[in-house]
Amino acid sequence: MKRYLLGIALVVSSISLAIGQNEEEKPKDKPVRAPFESGYLIDNQTTVIQSPKTLEFIIQHKFGTMDKGFTDLFGLYAPGANIRMGLNYSLIKNLQIGYGVTRLNMYNDFSVKYTIFEQTRNNTIPVAVAVYANMGIDGRNKEVYGLDFKGSDRFSYFTQLIVGRRVNDWLSLQVNASFTHFNKTDSLIDHDKVSIGFNGRARFSPQSSILFQYDVPLKIKSIAEHREFTNPSKPNLGFGWEIRTSTHAFHIYVSTADGIVPQHNAMFNQNDWTKGDLMFGFSITRLWSF
Amino acid sequence: MNIRFFSITALLLGALALMAFMIPQEKKKGGPWEIPQEYVSMENPYKDDASLEKYGKQEYMKHCRSCHGNIGEGDGPKARNLEFDPGNLSDAAWQDKVTDGELYYMSIIGRDEMPNYESKITDEETRWALVNYLRTLKK
Repeated sequence: MKRYLLGIALVVSSISLAIGQNEEEKPKDKPVRAPFESGYLIDNQTTVIQSPKTLEFIIQHKFGTMDKGFTDLFGLYAPGANIRMGLNYSLIKNLQIGYGVTRLNMYNDFSVKYTIFEQTRNNTIPVAVAVYANMGIDGRNKEVYGLDFKGSDRFSYFTQLIVGRRVNDWLSLQVNASFTHFNKTDSLIDHDKVSIGFNGRARFSPQSSILFQYDVPLKIKSIAEHREFTNPSKPNLGFGWEIRTSTHAFHIYVSTADGIVPQHNAMFNQNDWTKGDLMFGFSITRLWSF
Repeated sequence: MNIRFFSITALLLGALALMAFMIPQEKKKGGPWEIPQEYVSMENPYKDDASLEKYGKQEYMKHCRSCHGNIGEGDGPKARNLEFDPGNLSDAAWQDKVTDGELYYMSIIGRDEMPNYESKITDEETRWALVNYLRTLKK
């Protein structure tokens, strides 16, 4: 027995010595410079998390659909605009927690984002990988839930895996896969939804970039609860312009979905960009470092 | 009585108006920087590294331009709201006087109205890229 323990100790110590030597030989490969300017990309998250002990305040605003033209100035003066105000805080390097309140359905969302890997300059790690998850609480009056209401009916969950790459100095791209679950939905609508997305930014000046996104909720029979998909959610297309300053990021964009919390868009978006259902929106972030 | 009263009032108002022209309108100059010796003598490990120029410019445009202006003359849109003059970074005499380490300290550590950028520009190479870019502003 003692021999085995001695052998294991020898192997472990020689491996750790080898790893230590290896680390000394290799120069450290640093993370790439700002793959994205902000943790937000229109309706999506990026792999970027602000430096530790940074508080971020965000206002997200979506106007009405622009299909009525000049009648409501392309949706800018349409009733029913959606607004979210939120706070994010970077607890430690690459870990962020957040909270926000959205006007639509009075969602209160609690989120966490963790960047597992950052892409490095010499491609030791070729992509950045992050996970984002949130729990939403529908804050509407309980009468909207009908009979047999339980407090847990209000809960919804969204989990997303994000893989991104800063392709070059001006182009960064991301793909994502998401899982959405609502504890309570209308009787003909599924509780679960898987979606995928593709988004990115193209920088055209030191402070300005073009943003784009395309999120597609999938119709997967194997996880469906009904034979037919009733009012399946529609893809969310978006284009925007980002301006970044030292402490702010501004997004002005056009997108399809009327929701701001991602699980709502994945599960319920009925706006169809192929039929012209697009709306203006903007986001403003403000950073404070402590 | 009335004429005398109005004459004195007009005289006082005139004097006040003239005094307004005498009050200095220039912003206060910040006093000399007290920079620790370790920064004064700090070596720039990326001196003359041309590959960093675009990154230095990006950082300048993102963090510095709003006060220091497009070419460092201290005429950015936020400069007018500052209590102290942000100075002219393109001034050749000033540029010749400060070392790279002093520029690093002023840019990254800061003081008073000049913010600290340690948490915003976390990468050492990028900080020096900014210092290198500031050197290119010299006229």
